Amino acid sequence: MDSKRRGFLKSAAMAAAGSMVLGDATFSLPVLGAADAPTDGDALTWNKAPCRFCGTGCHVQVGVHEGRVVAVAGDKAADVNKGLLCVKGYHVGGILYGEDRLTKPLLRKDGKLVPIEWDEAIDIIAKRIMDAPEKFAFYGSGQWTIPEGYAAQKLMKGGLSNNHIDPNARLCMASAVTGFLATYGVDEPAGCYADLDACDVLITWGNNPAEMHPVLFSRVTDRRSRGEKVRIIDISTRRTRTTDAANDYLEMDPHGDVAIALGIMNQLIESNSYDKDFVEKHCAFRSPESESPTLQGQAISEDEFRKRIAAYTPERVEELSGVPADQIRMLGKLFGQRDLRITSLWCMGMNQHTMGTAINSLVHGVHLLSGHFGRPGDAPTSLTGQPSACGTVREVGTLAHALPGGRLVAKPDHRAQCEGFWNLPAGRINATPGYHTVKMFDQFTLPTDEGGDINTLFVQVTNPGQTLPNLNKLFNDKEKLKDKFLIVSEVYPTATTQLADLILPAALWVEKNGIYGNSERRTQQWFKMVDPPGEARDDTWMTIAIAHRLLELGHEGMKDKDGEFIFAVKDDQGQEIPIWEFEHYYDTNVDKHLFEEYRQFTTMKHKNLAPYDEYVKARGLRWPVVQQDDGSWRETKFRFAGFDDPFVAEGKEFDFYHSTSGDGRAQIWFHDYQPPPEVPDEEYPMWLCTGRVLEHWHTGTMTRRLPQLNRAMPTAYVEMNLQDALAQNIRQGETVLIESRRGTTELPVWIDGRGRPPRGTVFVPFFDETKLINNCTLDEHDPFSKQPDYKKCAVRVRKLNEASS
Amino acid sequence: MSDQPATTRRGRLTSIFLFVVIVVSAIGYLVGLSDGVPKPDGIPGGAIASVAEASDHDTSGKIVAAVNYAEIPATAMGPTAAFQSKPAALPQPPEYDLFTKIEPREADKAESSRIRSSRRAYNGAPPIIPHAVENTSDAACYACHGGGIQMAGMKASVMSHDYLANCTQCHAPPPPAPFQDVPHEVDNRFVGLAAPQAGKRAYPGAPPTIPHSQWMRESCSACHGGPNGWAGMESTHPWRTNCTQCHAPSAVLDQAIPAKTIPMLPPLDVAVK
Repeated sequence: MDSKRRGFLKSAAMAAAGSMVLGDATFSLPVLGAADAPTDGDALTWNKAPCRFCGTGCHVQVGVHEGRVVAVAGDKAADVNKGLLCVKGYHVGGILYGEDRLTKPLLRKDGKLVPIEWDEAIDIIAKRIMDAPEKFAFYGSGQWTIPEGYAAQKLMKGGLSNNHIDPNARLCMASAVTGFLATYGVDEPAGCYADLDACDVLITWGNNPAEMHPVLFSRVTDRRSRGEKVRIIDISTRRTRTTDAANDYLEMDPHGDVAIALGIMNQLIESNSYDKDFVEKHCAFRSPESESPTLQGQAISEDEFRKRIAAYTPERVEELSGVPADQIRMLGKLFGQRDLRITSLWCMGMNQHTMGTAINSLVHGVHLLSGHFGRPGDAPTSLTGQPSACGTVREVGTLAHALPGGRLVAKPDHRAQCEGFWNLPAGRINATPGYHTVKMFDQFTLPTDEGGDINTLFVQVTNPGQTLPNLNKLFNDKEKLKDKFLIVSEVYPTATTQLADLILPAALWVEKNGIYGNSERRTQQWFKMVDPPGEARDDTWMTIAIAHRLLELGHEGMKDKDGEFIFAVKDDQGQEIPIWEFEHYYDTNVDKHLFEEYRQFTTMKHKNLAPYDEYVKARGLRWPVVQQDDGSWRETKFRFAGFDDPFVAEGKEFDFYHSTSGDGRAQIWFHDYQPPPEVPDEEYPMWLCTGRVLEHWHTGTMTRRLPQLNRAMPTAYVEMNLQDALAQNIRQGETVLIESRRGTTELPVWIDGRGRPPRGTVFVPFFDETKLINNCTLDEHDPFSKQPDYKKCAVRVRKLNEASS
Repeated sequence: MSDQPATTRRGRLTSIFLFVVIVVSAIGYLVGLSDGVPKPDGIPGGAIASVAEASDHDTSGKIVAAVNYAEIPATAMGPTAAFQSKPAALPQPPEYDLFTKIEPREADKAESSRIRSSRRAYNGAPPIIPHAVENTSDAACYACHGGGIQMAGMKASVMSHDYLANCTQCHAPPPPAPFQDVPHEVDNRFVGLAAPQAGKRAYPGAPPTIPHSQWMRESCSACHGGPNGWAGMESTHPWRTNCTQCHAPSAVLDQAIPAKTIPMLPPLDVAVK
């Protein structure tokens, strides 16, 4: 785009925003944009918000001028990022202003999208639900704000008695959840980011935080710049920017992490260097049952554990993982040193894994067995990829089997408690878990006469048309099925809206109030700062408006046991505020009402939250947040540790107070190594790993609309080893065909690119909607968490001329 | 016999045709080359290349004579004499004198402002990297941007903040080399805060206030002074070392005071007769 056109767009945009900002007459020099951009930073209104992108949860200061975001600054008062951001965060303001924002509800009629009014859109949805409430499913997101997820949860489970609600976080961190539950009996990390300031050793397990969580990673590498010594050990299937900063690089085969964790425990036991005191006082041993294993597993004795772990000698681990036996011994020795502080970091590498629950539990086990737990710097820390995967999915429980506050639909007392909080008649909540993500889309894309029993699917704040694995099986079939109805709330056209029957324009980030919960248990609030464009509206409002229309249509589930609307909000005089009418939605702070209602659910699992107004004042607070004698609210940095956690009994050093064995102990698990579900063979000789890049986030629908980021990474690519490329006569930049048993996609080649895969491995980032690598990935998933494995499957690379011949 | 001349003519036509094809493809190749390389503002192309070309004629010391194995340990390795002389042949900036009289020119300031804003989404955004980099380490960035450097009409500006690891965390690079030709322009209606033109002065001659945040711009001389600062934005008194002694920062922009208003004691309660 030439600069004249850009200038015109800027002027047009400013005019549309309601005012032209005149250059200050005292400024004598013309600069680019001076005619239409404010220049006085002091004149802006600055306010705090968490960044829209990843699970790190940086706070930004958002500079607003004349109703538009014009600047962003790292928030110096924020403990997470201490004034720094990454290149995505610095440009986050631009995500609101992509030229093709959706601004009007669109309905597909005879294959064409036509604009309709909101009233008609809400009507269509409500009637489809009314026709078959049990065939309706709600697919949500780790990018949902807490009130958005809570409202959807209440509509489905409390209103429709329908448990078919699941989030995209199922694809992202479900195995982290099951790992925490299996080990501690309660979800989410015990430590926090302060561990990164105190650790002597940082181990990255299949994790590339230099690109994916850069603010956290440079928090560690900046310590080195200041003269501190931190040893970084990178365990990975390919070299990355994290490897560049690492002292040690251990290259493992896919699934090798399981063997490595077992090998470390083997060495701790063999050399008798495990923390006997910690294990004796605070741990128990556990393994899966041999027949139909469960998440709880069965208790085993320490002797039994020793017997089983004895098989995982460094030499055996070398065979299974490809990491030399000496390096396994090195790791064993390292964990055997009590005076070191060791922090493990992981994210999708361990979660998107058919042994996801197992490897998560095993790494917790390594830390527990060695006693590297619960002191600042000694922590097994699981990171999340989405801004509120923890807050909205794990805490609000927007999963097919869960209820808010760590409750389960299968437990009668949990259902009764929720019915109590929601003032619902007993028995309203359905006892059968709904469909998890893979199953939900399976059922939605299966023809009705073949048993596909989901016919209306509402997608909010995510893009399954790009992120689901094995898209040809789980998504693309929808196009042929005329009786299936896909509703998508979105901000831009996406791979999902391409097949949508009804598209709802959504408000984005600071165009609405919101609350997120980040990777370190930190709950973060922000206020609406600018208006959404056109007729775009809040996702929470959509949910409440649908509920109210259902009430008008006579759906009994939309009433509580006193006959009141389940989302009723009353003013000081006791009059109901019609928040289902958008012009009245901001007459009150609906977020605050929903949050205060939700708070009641959080105490059972000791994830206590403070009142809404406390979060307004803070740059987030880490739960449990408890009120102190002087009335102030105190957050918790280190859970289960007596020196910091208010729920550890007086005088105890550690207390795992949600222990599955009921005796305050954490579980050290034993899982046998199992091979990956699909391994390269003659026909498909290469490993495929998928992931992200620094400049783009998730499916790129926001970051690919930012010129600065798109310039830095304009396309997805396939990263190849030079020798593999030579062997196939493939040149740098050449477009090739990636084929798996499930599908194909064309990608340009980057030989020894930003990451450098070993021979026999290719890597593809998934952000590019024009090059869908999830046509190729597997939908095989972890048996406990149901999270699919995006990190390994077998593919072949073909030159285009060979593929077409 | 009669088709002999025809063959010759055809042969000549073929040669001419081939010649034209070769010339066209060579031109096309060169045009293609120059098209594919982005030219960010403020990076003059060709300065280094022309010096390199000019010195190609000087072949003295360019060829390293082969030596036998026994002589290897005693033979000087590394850059050839010809290569070593190249940096010296580049145009050197005049030696920096702290006490040279500075008279900032408005035209320079305009040009500097134009270049600076072409690299930023808004004032305060970390600048994008305007030149090619390929998997460059922090040390490589620091080599030029730590203290700044000028060579052949090009200038590496000085880092205005403390040393921070992971440079590309904040500074977006240009497209990776294999994807330089991939179209990457997108339309976005974001309008960023423009750079301030000058601080506010209480009266003519008063020291101006600092019109931007000091965060990540702790080193004033990175831009406002020294040999590698921005033309037209230099301090007229670079030997003064305590900038905030005279130039007041903004508490709002520095995120220093959370209060909306400056707290003051209540006004004096003066009795009115």
